[in-house]
Amino acid sequence: MKGKRIISALLSLTILLPALSALGGCASKKEVTLRVYNWEEYIDEGGEGSYEYDYEINEDGSAPPILDDFEEWYEETYGKSVRVEYSTFGTNEDLYNQLKLGDKYDLVCPSEYMIMKLAAEGMIQPLDTAQLDIYNANVSDYIAEIFKKTPAVAGEPLEKYAAGYMWGVTGLVYNPEQVNEETLNESGWKIMLDPAYKNKVTTKDNVRDSYFVGLGIHYREELLALKKQNENGELSDGEYTDRVTELMNRTDEESVKKVTEILKTMKSNIFGFETDTGKSDMVKGTISMNFAWSGDAVYAMDQAEEEEVFLNFHIPEECANLFFDGWVMPKDEKRDKDTELAALAFINFMSRPDNAVRNSYYIGYTSVIAGEEMLDYARDLYSAEDEENAVPYDVSYFFRRGDEDKSAYIINAPAEQLSRQLYAQFPPADTVKRCAVMGYYGEAEEAINELWTQVKGEQLSAWAIVVICAAVVAIVLFIVFTKFGHRIEFRMKPKKGYRLVKQEKLK
Amino acid sequence: MTKFRLSRKSLCIPYAVFLLFFVIAPMLIIVFYAFTDKNNHISFMNFVNFFSDPTKLTTIVYSVVIALITTVVCLLIAFPVAYILARSKIKRKSVILLLFVTPMWINFVLRINAIRELMNWMGLLGETNYFNTVFGMVYDFLPFMILPLYTQISKIDNSLYEACADLGGNAFTSFFRVTLPLSMPGVLSGITMVFLPSMTNYVVSDMLGNSKVTIIGKFIETYFGTNWHMGSMIALILLIVVLLSSFLSGGFREENTRRTTA
Repeated sequence: MKGKRIISALLSLTILLPALSALGGCASKKEVTLRVYNWEEYIDEGGEGSYEYDYEINEDGSAPPILDDFEEWYEETYGKSVRVEYSTFGTNEDLYNQLKLGDKYDLVCPSEYMIMKLAAEGMIQPLDTAQLDIYNANVSDYIAEIFKKTPAVAGEPLEKYAAGYMWGVTGLVYNPEQVNEETLNESGWKIMLDPAYKNKVTTKDNVRDSYFVGLGIHYREELLALKKQNENGELSDGEYTDRVTELMNRTDEESVKKVTEILKTMKSNIFGFETDTGKSDMVKGTISMNFAWSGDAVYAMDQAEEEEVFLNFHIPEECANLFFDGWVMPKDEKRDKDTELAALAFINFMSRPDNAVRNSYYIGYTSVIAGEEMLDYARDLYSAEDEENAVPYDVSYFFRRGDEDKSAYIINAPAEQLSRQLYAQFPPADTVKRCAVMGYYGEAEEAINELWTQVKGEQLSAWAIVVICAAVVAIVLFIVFTKFGHRIEFRMKPKKGYRLVKQEKLK
Repeated sequence: MTKFRLSRKSLCIPYAVFLLFFVIAPMLIIVFYAFTDKNNHISFMNFVNFFSDPTKLTTIVYSVVIALITTVVCLLIAFPVAYILARSKIKRKSVILLLFVTPMWINFVLRINAIRELMNWMGLLGETNYFNTVFGMVYDFLPFMILPLYTQISKIDNSLYEACADLGGNAFTSFFRVTLPLSMPGVLSGITMVFLPSMTNYVVSDMLGNSKVTIIGKFIETYFGTNWHMGSMIALILLIVVLLSSFLSGGFREENTRRTTA
């Protein structure tokens, strides 16, 4: 009896406890819960990976995660407490599916095309950009221009819906000891089809990156012609970028068909499609070239350097994909004003240059935030130690405000950095003008997903299918016959002790 | 107040609830998605699309062939092992059996990564994608074949072999007349445990075949990112293929099992 009573007491306690704590929560002053949904490992999480910067550290000497600092900062600045409910996703499609299923978030961080898709389907709401003072003050002019120029949906620029977070370009990480740089410069994306590098190149196992490469190869001549026109001065920089962007966003039937053929040929030449093995395969030397996002490329080059392998990054002559991730606010009728303000404050906090440096250092991608601390950080990382080897590297297109003098934005970098981390993180101005944003495919989405199925799926000639089908049918028939045949035979068998007398004999 | 009595029937309730929520309901949802389009209208387009696309058909045929080869190779390796372990008089059989089973305790992705390194070292990676995939699958699923076979063979009564020998049967006869028929239930459950997962285990084909080998499970995964309806349709078709193959191999025939184990 006693035991039972204790159990029931325990049971009632466990039922009551959550209720009690909820009451306790109500009793203290009102706390805002901010639900943030971000990429995995896409924010400073504190600990050993953090950048050593002059912010307060924990008592044990480790760095606090940036989210703790945000909660503290919010309380100090606004006098209200906020609790960040932080969760992560793996792909843009996962994020989309979660939102479709009805999960509620206050801030999510999808890539450019997903922002466009969410906007097109009316799943996100415009941001109150007037409140984003810190973001507006610090975002790079170059990125702000792209957000102004790129439409989220027809007639509405991206900047209305999204505040940038990280950006980068796609390119090829290669091992200069195994790859002929001249060939690479000449071939660009086409090197993926080069039999000289059979089984030596990998590309990403996703449809968008592969489609981009396919388009790059298909429109190679046009792209190179545009580049020439730009070099001759016949085409202004802005127009050049627009023309490249137009070509790289084609989704007409003819292009899709051509790209399918190109990718099928590519599949037979490359080492494989990868999602995360590419970096380690590069370091080990299994492959000598790898399609990479610039942030990953920086990580791969860093990792390789530890093993005394020196990798380079190359942005093909034709064009490259400019991508970025941005904060957007999914629609939610139940969200109150306080939460919305906290969300905007979150974007502002992450846009403070010192915090942008922290995040950028932790995850390896380039922040969209310019600002003095950011430039100091870039100098800190990439300035040459011995002056003789130093080459001036102009990053003014990213850091410059208005018509300021360019000379203030030059990093004296070691010569090899011109094709390494610095080049990947801040591609030079004459390179970024051939970088195009590839938007949401819209109505062509299904056709392009189908393209991926055709590329990835197994191909067989018709006669082989017939042979295999015949074999399967034969096996099925064999099994059926042995089973049911056995039964029939069993029924026909005479009882024990009798012999089966054949009909003919009776006659 | 009527006293609540715990009858045998009420013990089943938790299992019934479990089956309802975690087996039957999800299947119904899959069927619903498979036969609807984006606007949730009834549609047979996914069905038509699947069977009119040679690539998808070829991929499912490839998956079946890869799974078949995996199963046969597993059986060819596992039968002698199980037979030797069960019949011989070596000491510490359990230790040897344990050695075959221990890999199952190590994380699967880790093991496949290790195999990948090994193949890279041997120069096979990227060269023989289909072989690598089958190799990885065999390595992964071998314990699932050995265990049921071992249990079944070790259950065979020794007096049956004696009787076989008394009646003039040689080793050959005793194998085909005693061991093989009596181990059939083990073979069948082994086949079920190897054949079905090797049609969908795309981690192996991604890692060892560098994603150049595509099995039907990979399609399901990809489609569930972009088009749940097509993904559900492929999952449903796979389910039917699997049910058919179990039916043909006799996995459902209870009397069959009972007769041979008796």
